[in-house]
Amino acid sequence: MKTPQAHAPPPAPAPGAARRAALGGSFLSGAVGRLLPASVPFRYFGAAVVFHLAAWLVVLLSAADWPAWRGGLGWPLAALHLVTLGTLAASAIGASLQLLPVATRMPVRWPRLPALLWWIYVPGVVVLTAGMGLARPPWLALGAAGVIAVLLGYGLLLALNLRGARGMAGVVLHGWGALIALALLLASATALVMLWLGRPLLDRDSARGLHLAAGVFGFMGLLALGLSSVLLPMFALGRVPDDRRQLAAGGAALTAVALAAAAALAPAVAMPLRVTALLCGAVGLVLHLRLMRGVLAGAMRPDLGWGGRLMHMGWAGLALTLVLAAAALAADAASPWARLFGLAAVGGWLTSFLFGVLQRILPFLAAMHAAQGRRRAPTPSALTLGRALAWHAVAHALALVLLAAGIAASSALLVRAAGATGTVGAAAFAVFLATLLQRLRRAMAAPAD
Amino acid sequence: MSMPTPEPATLGSDGCWHIDVRGLPPPQPLLLILRQVDDHGHDGRALIVHHDRDPAMLYAELAERGWWAERIDGDPGEVRLRLAAT
Repeated sequence: MKTPQAHAPPPAPAPGAARRAALGGSFLSGAVGRLLPASVPFRYFGAAVVFHLAAWLVVLLSAADWPAWRGGLGWPLAALHLVTLGTLAASAIGASLQLLPVATRMPVRWPRLPALLWWIYVPGVVVLTAGMGLARPPWLALGAAGVIAVLLGYGLLLALNLRGARGMAGVVLHGWGALIALALLLASATALVMLWLGRPLLDRDSARGLHLAAGVFGFMGLLALGLSSVLLPMFALGRVPDDRRQLAAGGAALTAVALAAAAALAPAVAMPLRVTALLCGAVGLVLHLRLMRGVLAGAMRPDLGWGGRLMHMGWAGLALTLVLAAAALAADAASPWARLFGLAAVGGWLTSFLFGVLQRILPFLAAMHAAQGRRRAPTPSALTLGRALAWHAVAHALALVLLAAGIAASSALLVRAAGATGTVGAAAFAVFLATLLQRLRRAMAAPAD
Repeated sequence: MSMPTPEPATLGSDGCWHIDVRGLPPPQPLLLILRQVDDHGHDGRALIVHHDRDPAMLYAELAERGWWAERIDGDPGEVRLRLAAT
């Protein structure tokens, strides 16, 4: 810290001019131009938590279907989409629309639109997954139409935000990659729905391969990797990684996704494309982990508690995903490696990472919201039910291990145990969220000081 | 790191610390302000923040530290905050 002699200070306000325009965090109202009202991301996060609980309940109740399931219609497919669409994509919408404006320094265009889209998205996911579970293609098509329409609207908002972005080139690159992947995801989803309706646009293997590459690794994966450069510094109070290193890591990840997507559309050269995609993915992962380690190494708050442990578990899950992908490439189609690869990607990587993020960001956003007009606003820690988060994290990890064992051993008993354990964890997270909202409501009801 | 080297806080003639974080990308302003609060917040002086936008992420972190913020008059286009312990 320098003295005034060493460095001239900015002009100080005139005596008496320090008129109080607002108290505490009441500036949030002034930040509306850049940040969405908390109710918008919270409704998506709330839906994600409910769909997460529903997914584990479906696993519990449909355990007998899992050993024979190979990817067709049925409750295992419904459980998968309750996680991917209901939990991961819903959270991605809430988190990206809340956080990207901070990174890009561009407000969300039409801030009321995300709130309206929620009313189409949630019923859409319910109808879509019910159609999958009950093997009713018309329901599936109806639900898919709603979900695809919402994701198109979300994609438009994302594109408008990225187009006007200022700074954070690495995050923006990941964002554009995720957006292109979203377009491929929606195209492949349409092709799959048409297949189930008996009007094929694309062969089944190509549509499924494209859906997996574009959805899990492209849309969700690139968003998770890109937003990490905003989220981790924010949570840990560390420095944002260098743009060039972000671009290098993002470039490798984007190349991997592009090659995996191309492999789905070019069966004749699928194997070399997939092997190259795997190698690029491994390079991207190493570069990304080095960035994240750099953020934590110099951070003011390197220990992120249970949320941090889940984020680390997510990164380990991504590494395991790549190993299992290699095993699946070397094995025959009937082996369990492909299903374990899918579980590692969706459960081990994305879901673990997402809930690590949610554990940290939900109390933070709630405290921001509660601060409006108050000198003494509740702190994030005062809104957090810590025990519920510990229960959730432990149960989440155990449930994934049990589910992997159940898939590998074709054991309905182990899958049922996974469903029960996952339900406990998901319920614990729901209790955490309900408690947080209750405490938030109480804080908001208290008279402003 | 690609971010510019920030100017440190300075002690103004009004008896307050001043920190100018205008033009810095997020979360650099947040980090600089909190580091100032953590390192020098115990000296009883208020901290005047000269910002170019409302630091929405700051308030929850301040609350965790027992601090609060109020907006005071600043230059056109500036968001000027006075931070103090509660």
